[in-house]
Amino acid sequence: MQNDAFRSSDADIVRQVLDGNVNAFESVVLRHRGLVLSIVKKHVPEDAVEETTQEAFVRAYQSLPTFKGTGHLSQWLSSIAVRTCYDYWRKAYRSREIPISALTEKHSQWLEETISKMPEEVPDERERQMEAREILNWALGKLSAGDRMILELVYLEGFSVKEAAELLGWTKANVKVRSFRARMKLEQLLSIVKEQERRGR
Amino acid sequence: MRFRVSENEFLKKAFRHAYTSKGGGDTGEGWQSQAMRRIRQIGPLKSAAGFWPAFEGMVWRLAPVSCLLVLVLTLFFVSMEQDVDSDYLGTMAAEVEKPSLVELFDLEG
Repeated sequence: MQNDAFRSSDADIVRQVLDGNVNAFESVVLRHRGLVLSIVKKHVPEDAVEETTQEAFVRAYQSLPTFKGTGHLSQWLSSIAVRTCYDYWRKAYRSREIPISALTEKHSQWLEETISKMPEEVPDERERQMEAREILNWALGKLSAGDRMILELVYLEGFSVKEAAELLGWTKANVKVRSFRARMKLEQLLSIVKEQERRGR
Repeated sequence: MRFRVSENEFLKKAFRHAYTSKGGGDTGEGWQSQAMRRIRQIGPLKSAAGFWPAFEGMVWRLAPVSCLLVLVLTLFFVSMEQDVDSDYLGTMAAEVEKPSLVELFDLEG
């Protein structure tokens, strides 16, 4: 099965699936599992990765008739994976399943130290990475699902507005506006943490 | 508004590094078989080549043309009705204005 998966092209496999051969979709899963897993791992918590990846492939199967075949299947699957992650967060926010840990003095101290570094200081990126991750998770947890996704794609992953719009299925104008608003919210949250450090002194 | 904190070069780097290095443990193979089980339960896709999907596609392609045709025909009929009305009014007016011979030569009594 695995050898067959790599012999025929994506277009052939899609045609087989659309002709009613359900099992042919396993080739799509085998070929693109790495890509979909890497996207999902970035966006959702570790314990939800497998379920979300599974969901992404099921959605891809159901939406296969809408795949026009003009672009790459991998691009199309990436967009489905991103939207599935977005839906995961929407659901999680609705049921309030997001654990938002409170930040301690250690975090605000780290933030203050990091932003007051002089340009000639070469920062060790691995230095106190834990604090960075915890502050980031705290801030992202305070945002809405949409703001979270747009910040992750544009601010943290460096996707362009056009790319983010394609991945999320939003218009470019919407991505621009939401990206700006989400950045403003992040700025406010970080300013609060920074202010706490000043008061603590 | 300037992003003084979030656009700080070091902070942004630290955040990006923390975000991208979020490895996540290895995933097993279980989810793949579960996904395929769910897909098999869904069964073959309904869109498999047939008359209706092709027909649906054609309907959507023809929709703008049909709308345009309806618009043109509406305009045509509206203008036609106005022409008929104005013709009728014109005839009526002519009838009213046309003096009869009796009136013209004042032959009465």
